[in-house]
Amino acid sequence: MIPYLIIIPLLGAFAMPLMGLAGRKAGELWAVIVTLLTFGVSIDVFNTVWKKGILVYTLGAKSPIGKGVDFPVRIVWEVDLLGALLALVVAFVTLVVVVYSIEYMKHDTGLEKYYTLVMLLEVGMLGIAMTGDLFNFYVFFEITGIASYALVAFRNDTWEGIEAGIKYMFAGSLASSLVLLGVVLLYGQYGTLTMAYLSKMITGNPTFTSRVALGLLIGGLLFKSGAVPVHMWLADAHPAAPSSISAMLSGLVIKLGGVYAITRLAFSVFGGGTNLRTLGWVVILFACATLIVGNAMAVVQTDMKRLLAYSSVGQIGYILLGVGIGLAAYGSEVGNVALAGAIYHTVNHALIKALLFLIAGAVIHNLGTRNLNELSGIARRMPITSFAFLVGAMAIIGVPPMNGFASKWLIYESSALFNPLVGVIAIIGTAFSFAAYIRVVFTFLGRPCERVMQAQEPGKAMLLPMLILVAAIVLTGLFPWIISDRVMLPAAKMLENTGNYVSAVLGGA
Amino acid sequence: MNLLYATLEFIGVYVYVSLASLLWAGIDRKLVARMQRRIGPPLLQPFYDFLKLAGKESIIPRDANRFFELAPLLALATSIALLAYTPLGFEPIFGTKGDVVVFIYLLTLVGFVRMAGAVSSGSPYAQVGAQREMTILASREPPMMLALFAILWRLKGLGVEKPFSMGTFYEHSVWELGTPLSVIGALLLLVAFLFWLSSEIEVGYFDIPEAETELAEGPMAEYSGRHLAMFELAGAIKTFVSASLVVAIFFPWGISGQLGLTGLPATVVELLFHTLKVFAVLFVSMSLFRATTGRLRITQAVNMLWARLLPASVVGTLLLIIDTLGVVA
Repeated sequence: MIPYLIIIPLLGAFAMPLMGLAGRKAGELWAVIVTLLTFGVSIDVFNTVWKKGILVYTLGAKSPIGKGVDFPVRIVWEVDLLGALLALVVAFVTLVVVVYSIEYMKHDTGLEKYYTLVMLLEVGMLGIAMTGDLFNFYVFFEITGIASYALVAFRNDTWEGIEAGIKYMFAGSLASSLVLLGVVLLYGQYGTLTMAYLSKMITGNPTFTSRVALGLLIGGLLFKSGAVPVHMWLADAHPAAPSSISAMLSGLVIKLGGVYAITRLAFSVFGGGTNLRTLGWVVILFACATLIVGNAMAVVQTDMKRLLAYSSVGQIGYILLGVGIGLAAYGSEVGNVALAGAIYHTVNHALIKALLFLIAGAVIHNLGTRNLNELSGIARRMPITSFAFLVGAMAIIGVPPMNGFASKWLIYESSALFNPLVGVIAIIGTAFSFAAYIRVVFTFLGRPCERVMQAQEPGKAMLLPMLILVAAIVLTGLFPWIISDRVMLPAAKMLENTGNYVSAVLGGA
Repeated sequence: MNLLYATLEFIGVYVYVSLASLLWAGIDRKLVARMQRRIGPPLLQPFYDFLKLAGKESIIPRDANRFFELAPLLALATSIALLAYTPLGFEPIFGTKGDVVVFIYLLTLVGFVRMAGAVSSGSPYAQVGAQREMTILASREPPMMLALFAILWRLKGLGVEKPFSMGTFYEHSVWELGTPLSVIGALLLLVAFLFWLSSEIEVGYFDIPEAETELAEGPMAEYSGRHLAMFELAGAIKTFVSASLVVAIFFPWGISGQLGLTGLPATVVELLFHTLKVFAVLFVSMSLFRATTGRLRITQAVNMLWARLLPASVVGTLLLIIDTLGVVA
């Protein structure tokens, strides 16, 4: 089933202009059908990987190994539990976002381009999650990047859409050229682009060049994940994009193009030949800065979407922290738990942030302002939306009956065991995030101001996606340890086990 | 079957604590009245109040949102849920390892729900009251958590079945350590806990958010009828629970051993004895404190909590830690 994960949305994207000719409704229906099918396929892929372990698919032949040689010559897709899990989340959130867009994008024009781009964004992210080839990864990485530049600037009649789009594109292109340079260096040194084979080569002969390449790759990918010194694009891009796109950018793009790629490269490619302890500490340092700066900046925002954007930066800090500890404490119980926490938080934050941005979209759509000071008392006129926000805020702070609790708990626990100071930083980050969200909650509940009194609940097509996400957050929040033991810990173990990843492609060779 | 028994026990505890906590409210009012040479209301006055409020019409302000009506229900539900994790002379019903976090979470959640309800009323009086409550809440919990975790950590060293659970206190107590340093530390923490208790139930110095004369009841300004009744009951239960925590930490001794009782009678006797101890602690922290001190200003109260109470619990904690090193005999 793996190839259909790319075929369906790619077909969807390329057929979209044709479908658009049949009218607006047909285009929307087509987009929903395509994303729904993709979601179905991703469930199947996840189920297969969960039961049977790593799946390998070779493009163009049965085996990746070339004729007469003992190394892989073809592009391989290699899906382990982490990749399958993220593919599932990507497909789910995209589906929800597309359904939401039907009503949300009602007043915009050029919608066939919008849906094409959304489906291309999905293709790019699914490709990143699946690929086992470094250059193929770069291609999907660029598809994701270019689709998101275009989507950020989609409302090109607003000044801020263009401004944020340009900022994002210039800095993002630079970052992806760093990634490309890293890929080039690795190819020059080792003569292969297959991740599994590259991993074997690096383990056998770690050179200075490979380390430079690692530095370039990590640098480029940290940019895409919004880690702190290079997070500035994010705080502009998220507010300027349509809210449905912010939900995808914040929930998915920064994780697939950033954190997932870092994790994959660090563990599966460089796992054998690098000093993981040093690499881990580098990631931890960025993570700590990201945690504090992101969450602290969220507290002082008056723009609702900017607040959510900074909060995304802060939450990326937690995920990076988990990954960093997973690297620095490689092979120990603590490292495993931290990595499981990071994976768990990636999934949870994707759901939560998607929900919060969809709510922000509903509020802005209705009231036409993002200024928190003008939004007081929304709960009076939009009770369901406010309730959904309350759930999202509780989940992102990490309050027990919601899903954010378990994932953050794993990260707190492992960071406190790993290094108490890092644990304290994580707690301080949460305190800031708590302050930021409690302020918004109290604003929503407070005395209704005049502007708010004209507001009303959004329609069904906008409420349904929100309620689905609320249900997902609460339901997964009720069984946190089952999910953690059955899915997240095995995913972390599978990721740590580089040997399996390599031998799945190379066989015994 | 086990779960069924636990549920029945839980309901029993809830009914008992509701009655006992309202009874204490009556005793408290009577005692304070006597301290001021008044006769005071009859002992059962809070029950009459509760019934009367429950029967009255509940007025919903025009500017209120849905949460206004939901908040009293949530506050009551949270304080009832809290009872499942409260040590009441015996191990909590649903006590497990690490349940202290749940306890603290639920205890603060009651406060938050109250605040959210107040903010939802749309009344500026309630809003100011809620802000004050938030400030006090953020200031009073750190010293308590520090002290509680320090004690639980210390008791864990003595070997307990479920570390960091409320049941720990019935296996070992702080006084058992016996060394001079630990006794001084524990005494300091006891003082800190008594002050925390009065700030938790907002009496005396800390009667700030409600501040009847200044702020017209603060957070509760807009509540009436059965909504107010639910809040009153939730508050009474919370008072009982907070005091139970202090009792469990510092005075966990039971009497069923001396009386040679086991099984159900032992549980009942322990519960009654625990109630007595709770009343004694509340007499100090609530009645005496309420009758003898006036309200502080919010800045003074915050200053007091951060500059007096927190250092006290830091010093107590440090003494308990130093004690483990064994440098002072």
